[in-house]
Amino acid sequence: MSKGKKFIYGLILPVIIVISWYLYTTFSNVPNSLLPKIQNVFMAFNEMVSQGQLQNDLAVSFLRVVKGFLVSGVIGILLGAMMGMSQKISAMLLPTITAIRQIPVIAWIPLIILWAGIGEGSKVVIIVIAASFPVLVNTLSGFTSTPAGYIEVARLYNLNRWQTFLKVYLPHALPQMLVGLKLGLSVSWMALVASELIAASSGIGYRMNDARSLMRSDKVIVCMVVIGLAGIIMDKVISIIFETITPWEKIAKSEGK
Amino acid sequence: MASGKNKDNYIINVEHLNKHFLVDKKPVQVLSDINLHIKKGEFITIVGHSGCGKSTLLKIMCGLVDYEDGIVERNGHAVAGPGPKCGMVFQDHRLLPWLKIKDNIGFGLKKLSKEEREANVKKHLELVGLSGFENSYPSQLSGGMSQRAAIARGLANNPTILLLDEPFGALDALTRIQMQKEILRIQQEEKTTMVMVTHDIDEAIYLGNRIVVMSARPGRIMEIIKVNPVDGKKRGSAGFAAYKKRIYDYFFENSNEEDEAKDIL
Repeated sequence: MSKGKKFIYGLILPVIIVISWYLYTTFSNVPNSLLPKIQNVFMAFNEMVSQGQLQNDLAVSFLRVVKGFLVSGVIGILLGAMMGMSQKISAMLLPTITAIRQIPVIAWIPLIILWAGIGEGSKVVIIVIAASFPVLVNTLSGFTSTPAGYIEVARLYNLNRWQTFLKVYLPHALPQMLVGLKLGLSVSWMALVASELIAASSGIGYRMNDARSLMRSDKVIVCMVVIGLAGIIMDKVISIIFETITPWEKIAKSEGK
Repeated sequence: MASGKNKDNYIINVEHLNKHFLVDKKPVQVLSDINLHIKKGEFITIVGHSGCGKSTLLKIMCGLVDYEDGIVERNGHAVAGPGPKCGMVFQDHRLLPWLKIKDNIGFGLKKLSKEEREANVKKHLELVGLSGFENSYPSQLSGGMSQRAAIARGLANNPTILLLDEPFGALDALTRIQMQKEILRIQQEEKTTMVMVTHDIDEAIYLGNRIVVMSARPGRIMEIIKVNPVDGKKRGSAGFAAYKKRIYDYFFENSNEEDEAKDIL
Protein backbone atom coordinates (compact mmCIF):
# COMPACT_ATOMS: atom_id res chain seq x y z
CA MET A 1 0.00 0.00 0.00
CA SER A 2 1.33 3.44 -0.91
CA LYS A 3 2.02 6.02 1.77
CA GLY A 4 -0.75 8.33 0.59
CA LYS A 5 -3.32 5.54 0.58
CA LYS A 6 -2.29 4.44 4.05
CA PHE A 7 -2.72 7.99 5.30
CA ILE A 8 -6.22 8.22 3.83
CA TYR A 9 -7.23 4.86 5.33
CA GLY A 10 -5.95 6.07 8.69
CA LEU A 11 -8.13 9.19 8.45
CA ILE A 12 -11.43 7.34 7.93
CA LEU A 13 -12.14 6.52 11.58
CA PRO A 14 -11.25 9.95 13.05
CA VAL A 15 -13.45 11.67 10.43
CA ILE A 16 -16.39 9.40 11.28
CA ILE A 17 -15.92 10.14 15.00
CA VAL A 18 -15.80 13.91 14.46
CA ILE A 19 -18.86 13.89 12.18
CA SER A 20 -20.86 11.74 14.61
CA TRP A 21 -19.81 13.98 17.43
CA TYR A 22 -20.88 17.05 15.47
CA LEU A 23 -24.26 15.55 14.47
CA TYR A 24 -24.98 14.25 17.96
CA THR A 25 -24.22 17.53 19.73
CA THR A 26 -26.13 19.56 17.10
CA PHE A 27 -29.31 17.49 16.83
CA SER A 28 -29.77 16.18 20.38
CA ASN A 29 -30.07 18.13 23.59
CA VAL A 30 -27.15 16.60 25.45
CA PRO A 31 -25.95 19.21 28.00
CA ASN A 32 -22.78 21.10 27.09
CA SER A 33 -21.27 20.17 30.45
CA LEU A 34 -21.31 16.46 29.52
CA LEU A 35 -20.42 16.56 25.84
CA PRO A 36 -19.52 19.97 24.41
CA LYS A 37 -19.95 21.00 20.80
CA ILE A 38 -16.78 20.79 18.71
CA GLN A 39 -16.68 24.54 18.21
CA ASN A 40 -16.84 25.00 21.99
CA VAL A 41 -13.75 22.84 22.37
CA PHE A 42 -11.90 25.07 19.91
CA MET A 43 -13.08 28.12 21.81
CA ALA A 44 -11.91 26.61 25.09
CA PHE A 45 -8.55 25.89 23.46
CA ASN A 46 -8.27 29.54 22.33
CA GLU A 47 -9.25 30.75 25.75
CA MET A 48 -6.70 28.54 27.53
CA VAL A 49 -3.91 29.52 25.11
CA SER A 50 -4.63 33.23 25.22
CA GLN A 51 -4.61 33.19 29.04
CA GLY A 52 -1.31 31.27 28.91
CA GLN A 53 -2.87 28.59 31.12
CA LEU A 54 -2.36 25.68 28.71
CA GLN A 55 1.28 26.53 28.03
CA ASN A 56 2.01 26.85 31.74
CA ASP A 57 0.36 23.55 32.62
CA LEU A 58 2.05 21.77 29.77
CA ALA A 59 5.46 23.21 30.70
CA VAL A 60 5.06 22.16 34.34
CA SER A 61 4.05 18.61 33.35
CA PHE A 62 6.72 18.36 30.67
CA LEU A 63 9.46 19.34 33.10
CA ARG A 64 8.29 16.66 35.55
CA VAL A 65 8.30 14.03 32.79
CA VAL A 66 11.80 15.03 31.71
CA LYS A 67 13.15 14.84 35.27
CA GLY A 68 11.46 11.54 36.05
CA PHE A 69 12.29 10.00 32.71
CA LEU A 70 15.99 10.90 32.94
CA VAL A 71 16.27 9.39 36.42
CA SER A 72 14.39 6.27 35.26
CA GLY A 73 16.62 5.96 32.23
CA VAL A 74 19.79 6.11 34.31
CA ILE A 75 18.49 3.67 36.94
CA GLY A 76 17.02 1.26 34.38
CA ILE A 77 20.08 1.20 32.12
CA LEU A 78 22.60 0.93 34.99
CA LEU A 79 20.76 -1.87 36.78
CA GLY A 80 19.85 -3.63 33.53
CA ALA A 81 23.45 -3.54 32.29
CA MET A 82 24.86 -4.72 35.63
CA MET A 83 22.36 -7.57 35.80
CA GLY A 84 23.04 -8.43 32.16
CA MET A 85 26.80 -8.61 32.72
CA SER A 86 26.75 -10.47 36.05
CA GLN A 87 24.69 -13.53 36.82
CA LYS A 88 25.27 -12.97 40.54
CA ILE A 89 23.77 -9.47 40.52
CA SER A 90 20.91 -10.72 38.38
CA ALA A 91 20.17 -13.65 40.71
CA MET A 92 20.22 -11.24 43.65
CA LEU A 93 17.91 -8.56 42.22
CA LEU A 94 15.63 -10.17 39.65
CA PRO A 95 13.15 -11.93 41.99
CA THR A 96 12.56 -8.76 44.04
CA ILE A 97 12.26 -6.60 40.95
CA THR A 98 9.80 -9.02 39.34
CA ALA A 99 7.70 -8.97 42.51
CA ILE A 100 7.65 -5.17 42.85
CA ARG A 101 6.80 -4.80 39.17
CA GLN A 102 3.46 -6.51 39.75
CA ILE A 103 2.20 -3.55 41.80
CA PRO A 104 0.42 -1.04 39.51
CA VAL A 105 1.95 2.40 39.74
CA ILE A 106 -1.37 3.95 40.81
CA ALA A 107 -1.24 1.77 43.92
CA TRP A 108 2.00 3.49 44.91
CA ILE A 109 0.50 6.97 44.82
CA PRO A 110 -1.10 7.01 48.33
CA LEU A 111 2.14 5.93 50.00
CA ILE A 112 4.22 8.36 47.95
CA ILE A 113 1.89 11.21 48.94
CA LEU A 114 2.30 10.26 52.61
CA TRP A 115 6.05 10.22 52.25
CA ALA A 116 6.74 13.05 49.84
CA GLY A 117 3.59 15.18 49.82
CA ILE A 118 2.05 16.44 46.58
CA GLY A 119 4.96 18.57 45.42
CA GLU A 120 7.47 18.12 42.62
CA GLY A 121 9.42 15.39 44.42
CA SER A 122 6.51 13.01 44.67
CA LYS A 123 5.73 13.37 40.96
CA VAL A 124 9.27 12.49 40.00
CA VAL A 125 9.28 9.51 42.38
CA ILE A 126 6.06 8.16 40.87
CA ILE A 127 7.42 8.47 37.33
CA VAL A 128 10.62 6.73 38.37
CA ILE A 129 8.71 3.83 39.92
CA ALA A 130 6.64 3.47 36.75
CA ALA A 131 9.26 4.02 34.04
CA SER A 132 12.39 2.36 35.45
CA PHE A 133 11.03 -1.15 34.98
CA PRO A 134 10.43 -1.17 31.22
CA VAL A 135 13.88 0.38 30.69
CA LEU A 136 15.51 -2.14 33.03
CA VAL A 137 13.77 -5.22 31.64
CA ASN A 138 14.52 -4.34 28.02
CA THR A 139 18.14 -3.42 28.75
CA LEU A 140 18.60 -6.70 30.59
CA SER A 141 17.14 -8.70 27.75
CA GLY A 142 19.31 -6.82 25.22
CA PHE A 143 22.42 -7.77 27.18
CA THR A 144 21.54 -11.40 27.90
CA SER A 145 20.57 -12.11 24.30
CA THR A 146 24.06 -11.19 22.99
CA PRO A 147 25.06 -14.16 20.77
CA ALA A 148 27.81 -16.33 22.24
CA GLY A 149 29.59 -16.20 18.87
CA TYR A 150 30.21 -12.44 19.19
CA ILE A 151 31.53 -12.88 22.72
CA GLU A 152 33.86 -15.57 21.40
CA VAL A 153 35.17 -13.08 18.82
CA ALA A 154 35.92 -10.66 21.66
CA ARG A 155 37.80 -13.42 23.50
CA LEU A 156 39.70 -14.27 20.33
CA TYR A 157 41.01 -10.71 20.23
CA ASN A 158 41.80 -10.69 23.96
CA LEU A 159 39.32 -7.95 24.82
CA ASN A 160 39.00 -7.47 28.57
CA ARG A 161 35.64 -7.34 30.33
CA TRP A 162 35.24 -3.59 29.98
CA GLN A 163 36.19 -3.59 26.28
CA THR A 164 33.83 -6.51 25.66
CA PHE A 165 31.09 -4.53 27.39
CA LEU A 166 31.72 -1.44 25.28
CA LYS A 167 32.29 -3.11 21.92
CA VAL A 168 30.02 -6.15 22.02
CA TYR A 169 27.35 -6.18 24.75
CA LEU A 170 26.43 -2.50 24.68
CA PRO A 171 26.00 -2.08 20.90
CA HIS A 172 24.10 -5.35 20.77
CA ALA A 173 21.77 -4.24 23.55
CA LEU A 174 21.31 -0.70 22.21
CA PRO A 175 18.29 -1.27 19.94
CA GLN A 176 16.41 -3.02 22.71
CA MET A 177 17.47 -0.43 25.28
CA LEU A 178 15.92 2.15 23.02
CA VAL A 179 12.68 0.16 22.87
CA GLY A 180 12.72 0.19 26.68
CA LEU A 181 13.34 3.93 26.81
CA LYS A 182 10.50 4.54 24.40
CA LEU A 183 8.14 2.46 26.50
CA GLY A 184 9.47 4.19 29.60
CA LEU A 185 8.70 7.60 28.16
CA SER A 186 5.10 6.76 27.40
CA VAL A 187 4.71 5.16 30.84
CA SER A 188 6.23 8.32 32.42
CA TRP A 189 3.63 10.46 30.75
CA MET A 190 0.77 8.20 31.85
CA ALA A 191 2.00 7.91 35.44
CA LEU A 192 2.40 11.66 35.66
CA VAL A 193 -1.08 12.47 34.43
CA ALA A 194 -2.52 9.88 36.83
CA SER A 195 -0.65 11.36 39.78
CA GLU A 196 -1.62 14.92 38.82
CA LEU A 197 -5.25 13.88 38.61
CA ILE A 198 -5.10 12.46 42.11
CA ALA A 199 -3.05 15.05 43.91
CA ALA A 200 -1.47 18.17 42.42
CA SER A 201 -1.80 21.92 42.35
CA SER A 202 -0.45 22.40 38.84
CA GLY A 203 0.12 20.53 35.59
CA ILE A 204 -2.07 19.28 32.80
CA GLY A 205 -3.65 16.52 34.90
CA TYR A 206 -4.50 19.00 37.63
CA ARG A 207 -6.09 21.30 35.02
CA MET A 208 -8.33 18.48 33.83
CA ASN A 209 -9.52 17.74 37.32
CA ASP A 210 -10.07 21.42 37.98
CA ALA A 211 -12.09 21.76 34.77
CA ARG A 212 -14.15 18.72 35.72
CA SER A 213 -15.08 20.28 39.08
CA LEU A 214 -16.22 23.38 37.18
CA MET A 215 -18.25 21.22 34.78
CA ARG A 216 -16.06 22.43 31.87
CA SER A 217 -16.01 19.26 29.74
CA ASP A 218 -14.73 21.34 26.81
CA LYS A 219 -11.55 22.12 28.77
CA VAL A 220 -11.23 18.48 29.83
CA ILE A 221 -11.29 17.43 26.17
CA VAL A 222 -8.70 20.08 25.22
CA CYS A 223 -6.40 18.66 27.90
CA MET A 224 -6.95 15.08 26.70
CA VAL A 225 -6.12 15.99 23.12
CA VAL A 226 -3.04 17.93 24.21
CA ILE A 227 -1.83 14.97 26.31
CA GLY A 228 -2.24 12.65 23.32
CA LEU A 229 -0.42 15.00 20.96
CA ALA A 230 2.44 15.62 23.41
CA GLY A 231 2.88 11.84 23.73
CA ILE A 232 3.03 11.36 19.97
CA ILE A 233 5.55 14.18 19.55
CA MET A 234 7.86 12.86 22.30
CA ASP A 235 7.64 9.36 20.82
CA LYS A 236 8.60 10.69 17.38
CA VAL A 237 11.50 12.74 18.75
CA ILE A 238 12.91 9.75 20.58
CA SER A 239 12.51 7.55 17.46
CA ILE A 240 14.54 10.03 15.42
CA ILE A 241 17.29 10.15 18.06
CA PHE A 242 17.42 6.32 18.12
CA GLU A 243 17.69 6.00 14.37
CA THR A 244 20.65 8.35 14.36
CA ILE A 245 22.59 6.42 16.99
CA THR A 246 21.90 2.94 15.55
CA PRO A 247 22.32 3.47 11.80
CA TRP A 248 23.07 -0.23 11.18
CA GLU A 249 19.58 -1.21 12.36
CA LYS A 250 17.82 0.85 9.73
CA ILE A 251 20.10 -0.50 7.00
CA ALA A 252 19.60 -4.09 8.14
CA LYS A 253 15.83 -3.58 8.07
CA SER A 254 15.89 -2.14 4.58
CA GLU A 255 18.02 -5.13 3.47
CA GLY A 256 15.39 -7.40 4.95
CA LYS A 257 17.74 -8.94 7.50
CA MET B 1 60.21 -38.62 21.43
CA ALA B 2 60.71 -38.88 17.68
CA SER B 3 58.17 -36.21 16.85
CA GLY B 4 59.88 -33.71 19.11
CA LYS B 5 63.15 -33.42 17.24
CA ASN B 6 62.30 -30.42 15.05
CA LYS B 7 59.81 -28.82 17.38
CA ASP B 8 61.04 -25.30 16.73
CA ASN B 9 60.05 -25.47 13.07
CA TYR B 10 56.46 -26.18 13.88
CA ILE B 11 53.85 -23.44 13.95
CA ILE B 12 51.49 -25.87 15.65
CA ASN B 13 52.65 -28.88 17.61
CA VAL B 14 50.01 -31.18 19.10
CA GLU B 15 51.10 -34.31 20.95
CA HIS B 16 48.94 -36.91 22.67
CA LEU B 17 46.05 -34.51 23.08
CA ASN B 18 42.94 -35.87 24.75
CA LYS B 19 39.86 -33.81 25.43
CA HIS B 20 36.54 -34.57 27.03
CA PHE B 21 33.45 -32.53 27.77
CA LEU B 22 31.01 -33.09 30.59
CA VAL B 23 27.57 -33.95 29.28
CA ASP B 24 24.98 -34.45 32.04
CA LYS B 25 27.89 -34.62 34.50
CA LYS B 26 29.38 -37.58 32.62
CA PRO B 27 32.65 -37.17 30.75
CA VAL B 28 32.35 -37.70 27.00
CA GLN B 29 35.61 -38.02 25.13
CA VAL B 30 35.72 -35.80 22.04
CA LEU B 31 39.39 -36.06 21.06
CA SER B 32 41.60 -39.07 21.53
CA ASP B 33 45.39 -39.10 21.26
CA ILE B 34 45.72 -36.39 18.63
CA ASN B 35 49.23 -35.91 17.21
CA LEU B 36 49.66 -33.21 14.60
CA HIS B 37 52.62 -31.10 13.54
CA ILE B 38 52.09 -28.19 11.22
CA LYS B 39 54.98 -26.47 9.49
CA LYS B 40 55.17 -22.87 8.37
CA GLY B 41 53.36 -22.16 5.12
CA GLU B 42 51.38 -25.40 5.06
CA PHE B 43 47.70 -25.63 4.22
CA ILE B 44 46.18 -28.37 6.34
CA THR B 45 42.61 -29.53 5.85
CA ILE B 46 40.75 -31.60 8.42
CA VAL B 47 37.81 -33.75 7.28
CA GLY B 48 35.43 -35.76 9.40
CA HIS B 49 31.80 -36.25 10.28
CA SER B 50 30.07 -33.47 12.12
CA GLY B 51 30.58 -33.98 15.82
CA CYS B 52 33.98 -35.61 15.41
CA GLY B 53 35.66 -32.89 17.43
CA LYS B 54 37.40 -31.15 14.54
CA SER B 55 36.07 -27.72 15.51
CA THR B 56 37.06 -28.37 19.11
CA LEU B 57 40.57 -29.20 17.91
CA LEU B 58 40.74 -25.82 16.10
CA LYS B 59 39.47 -23.97 19.14
CA ILE B 60 42.07 -25.68 21.31
CA MET B 61 44.77 -24.61 18.84
CA CYS B 62 43.73 -20.96 19.07
CA GLY B 63 43.16 -21.07 22.82
CA LEU B 64 39.39 -20.61 22.92
CA VAL B 65 38.89 -24.04 24.51
CA ASP B 66 41.02 -25.45 27.34
CA TYR B 67 42.72 -28.81 27.26
CA GLU B 68 43.86 -30.89 30.21
CA ASP B 69 45.84 -33.73 28.75
CA GLY B 70 48.68 -33.59 26.21
CA ILE B 71 50.83 -30.93 24.61
CA VAL B 72 49.52 -28.11 22.41
CA GLU B 73 52.11 -25.58 21.30
CA ARG B 74 51.69 -22.60 19.01
CA ASN B 75 54.79 -20.81 17.70
CA GLY B 76 56.84 -22.83 20.16
CA HIS B 77 54.88 -21.95 23.31
CA ALA B 78 52.19 -23.90 25.12
CA VAL B 79 48.79 -22.47 24.20
CA ALA B 80 47.38 -20.61 27.18
CA GLY B 81 44.73 -18.48 25.48
CA PRO B 82 44.00 -16.54 22.31
CA GLY B 83 46.74 -14.33 20.93
CA PRO B 84 47.21 -11.93 18.02
CA LYS B 85 49.42 -14.38 16.13
CA CYS B 86 46.51 -16.74 15.61
CA GLY B 87 43.56 -15.67 13.47
CA MET B 88 40.26 -17.49 13.21
CA VAL B 89 37.38 -17.53 10.71
CA PHE B 90 34.06 -19.11 11.68
CA GLN B 91 31.32 -20.67 9.55
CA ASP B 92 28.86 -17.92 10.47
CA HIS B 93 31.08 -14.99 9.58
CA ARG B 94 30.53 -13.33 12.99
CA LEU B 95 31.07 -9.83 11.73
CA LEU B 96 29.67 -7.44 14.31
CA PRO B 97 26.51 -5.96 12.75
CA TRP B 98 27.02 -2.53 14.36
CA LEU B 99 30.49 -1.98 12.89
CA LYS B 100 31.24 -0.90 9.34
CA ILE B 101 33.30 -3.37 7.33
CA LYS B 102 36.49 -1.35 7.89
CA ASP B 103 35.93 -1.37 11.66
CA ASN B 104 35.17 -5.07 11.65
CA ILE B 105 38.42 -5.78 9.83
CA GLY B 106 40.31 -3.50 12.21
CA PHE B 107 38.55 -4.95 15.27
CA GLY B 108 41.64 -6.67 16.65
CA LEU B 109 44.08 -3.86 15.80
CA LYS B 110 44.29 -2.21 19.17
CA LYS B 111 47.85 -1.03 19.37
CA LEU B 112 48.18 0.67 15.98
CA SER B 113 47.94 4.40 15.33
CA LYS B 114 45.00 5.64 13.29
CA GLU B 115 47.05 5.90 10.08
CA GLU B 116 48.63 2.46 10.46
CA ARG B 117 45.25 1.00 11.18
CA GLU B 118 43.69 2.59 8.10
CA ALA B 119 46.55 1.41 5.88
CA ASN B 120 46.29 -2.11 7.29
CA VAL B 121 42.53 -2.27 6.74
CA LYS B 122 42.89 -0.90 3.22
CA LYS B 123 45.52 -3.50 2.36
CA HIS B 124 43.40 -6.39 3.62
CA LEU B 125 40.27 -5.07 1.91
CA GLU B 126 42.21 -5.15 -1.35
CA LEU B 127 43.58 -8.60 -0.57
CA VAL B 128 40.10 -10.12 -0.26
CA GLY B 129 38.62 -8.05 -3.10
CA LEU B 130 36.33 -5.85 -1.04
CA SER B 131 37.72 -2.40 -1.87
CA GLY B 132 34.90 0.12 -1.94
CA PHE B 133 32.90 -1.66 0.76
CA GLU B 134 34.75 -0.20 3.74
CA ASN B 135 31.79 1.92 4.82
CA SER B 136 29.13 -0.74 4.33
CA TYR B 137 27.55 -2.61 7.19
CA PRO B 138 27.65 -6.43 7.29
CA SER B 139 23.91 -6.67 6.55
CA GLN B 140 24.58 -5.11 3.16
CA LEU B 141 27.00 -7.85 2.10
CA SER B 142 26.22 -11.23 0.54
CA GLY B 143 27.30 -14.44 2.26
CA GLY B 144 30.45 -14.77 0.16
CA MET B 145 31.42 -11.14 0.70
CA SER B 146 30.85 -11.43 4.45
CA GLN B 147 33.15 -14.43 4.53
CA ARG B 148 35.78 -12.43 2.61
CA ALA B 149 35.53 -9.71 5.24
CA ALA B 150 35.85 -12.32 7.99
CA ILE B 151 39.00 -13.66 6.33
CA ALA B 152 40.38 -10.11 6.13
CA ARG B 153 39.67 -9.66 9.84
CA GLY B 154 41.43 -12.94 10.56
CA LEU B 155 44.49 -11.81 8.61
CA ALA B 156 44.63 -8.18 9.79
CA ASN B 157 46.90 -8.93 12.76
CA ASN B 158 49.38 -10.65 10.43
CA PRO B 159 48.97 -13.95 12.27
CA THR B 160 51.46 -16.78 11.77
CA ILE B 161 48.48 -19.10 11.47
CA LEU B 162 44.89 -18.73 10.31
CA LEU B 163 42.36 -21.29 11.51
CA LEU B 164 39.23 -21.69 9.38
CA ASP B 165 36.24 -23.52 10.83
CA GLU B 166 34.09 -24.62 7.86
CA PRO B 167 34.23 -21.08 6.48
CA PHE B 168 32.48 -21.91 3.20
CA GLY B 169 29.98 -24.40 4.60
CA ALA B 170 27.06 -22.01 4.40
CA LEU B 171 27.80 -20.74 0.89
CA ASP B 172 26.18 -21.93 -2.35
CA ALA B 173 28.21 -24.32 -4.52
CA LEU B 174 29.40 -21.74 -7.07
CA THR B 175 30.42 -19.15 -4.50
CA ARG B 176 32.17 -21.87 -2.53
CA ILE B 177 34.39 -22.87 -5.47
CA GLN B 178 35.15 -19.20 -6.12
CA MET B 179 36.10 -18.72 -2.47
CA GLN B 180 38.32 -21.82 -2.52
CA LYS B 181 40.31 -20.28 -5.38
CA GLU B 182 40.50 -16.99 -3.50
CA ILE B 183 41.74 -18.51 -0.27
CA LEU B 184 44.50 -20.37 -2.19
CA ARG B 185 45.56 -17.13 -3.85
CA ILE B 186 45.51 -15.32 -0.50
CA GLN B 187 47.56 -18.07 1.10
CA GLN B 188 50.13 -17.87 -1.67
CA GLU B 189 50.33 -14.07 -1.41
CA GLU B 190 50.47 -13.87 2.38
CA LYS B 191 52.36 -17.14 3.05
CA THR B 192 50.16 -17.62 6.11
CA THR B 193 49.93 -21.12 7.51
CA MET B 194 46.31 -22.24 7.34
CA VAL B 195 44.28 -24.99 8.93
CA MET B 196 40.77 -25.52 7.61
CA VAL B 197 38.10 -27.77 9.01
CA THR B 198 35.61 -28.93 6.40
CA HIS B 199 33.11 -31.68 5.70
CA ASP B 200 33.48 -31.21 1.95
CA ILE B 201 35.93 -33.84 0.68
CA ASP B 202 36.56 -32.08 -2.64
CA GLU B 203 37.39 -28.91 -0.75
CA ALA B 204 39.78 -30.79 1.52
CA ILE B 205 41.67 -32.27 -1.45
CA TYR B 206 41.69 -29.06 -3.49
CA LEU B 207 43.03 -26.86 -0.70
CA GLY B 208 45.13 -29.13 1.47
CA ASN B 209 48.83 -29.88 1.23
CA ARG B 210 47.94 -32.54 3.75
CA ILE B 211 44.50 -33.89 4.67
CA VAL B 212 43.82 -35.01 8.21
CA VAL B 213 41.08 -37.66 8.19
CA MET B 214 39.29 -37.97 11.50
CA SER B 215 36.95 -40.59 12.89
CA ALA B 216 33.85 -39.70 14.87
CA ARG B 217 33.35 -39.92 18.65
CA PRO B 218 35.90 -39.87 20.02
CA GLY B 219 37.72 -37.88 17.34
CA ARG B 220 40.86 -39.74 16.39
CA ILE B 221 43.22 -39.13 13.46
CA MET B 222 42.86 -42.08 11.09
CA GLU B 223 45.30 -40.95 8.43
CA ILE B 224 47.18 -37.88 7.31
CA ILE B 225 47.21 -37.89 3.51
CA LYS B 226 49.87 -35.92 1.68
CA VAL B 227 48.36 -34.41 -1.48
CA ASN B 228 50.31 -34.28 -4.73
CA PRO B 229 50.21 -30.59 -5.68
CA VAL B 230 49.42 -31.32 -9.34
CA ASP B 231 46.58 -33.83 -8.89
CA GLY B 232 45.07 -31.99 -5.96
CA LYS B 233 44.44 -28.84 -7.99
CA LYS B 234 42.75 -30.65 -10.92
CA ARG B 235 39.24 -31.54 -9.85
CA GLY B 236 38.59 -33.80 -12.85
CA SER B 237 41.86 -35.73 -12.75
CA ALA B 238 42.25 -39.43 -11.97
CA GLY B 239 44.59 -38.56 -9.12
CA PHE B 240 41.93 -36.33 -7.57
CA ALA B 241 39.36 -39.11 -7.84
CA ALA B 242 41.76 -41.56 -6.24
CA TYR B 243 42.17 -39.26 -3.20
CA LYS B 244 38.43 -38.92 -3.02
CA LYS B 245 37.92 -42.70 -3.06
CA ARG B 246 40.56 -43.13 -0.39
CA ILE B 247 38.82 -40.67 1.93
CA TYR B 248 35.32 -42.02 1.17
CA ASP B 249 36.48 -45.47 2.11
CA TYR B 250 37.25 -44.28 5.61
CA PHE B 251 33.74 -43.08 6.16
CA PHE B 252 31.66 -45.57 4.16
CA GLU B 253 32.78 -49.15 3.98
CA ASN B 254 30.76 -50.73 1.19
CA SER B 255 30.16 -49.34 -2.24
CA ASN B 256 26.36 -48.96 -1.94
CA GLU B 257 26.79 -46.51 0.85
CA GLU B 258 29.37 -44.73 -1.22
CA ASP B 259 26.72 -43.84 -3.80
CA GLU B 260 24.56 -42.43 -1.06
CA ALA B 261 27.52 -40.57 0.28
CA LYS B 262 28.04 -38.88 -3.05
CA ASP B 263 24.58 -37.41 -2.77
CA ILE B 264 25.22 -36.19 0.72
CA LEU B 265 28.69 -34.83 0.28
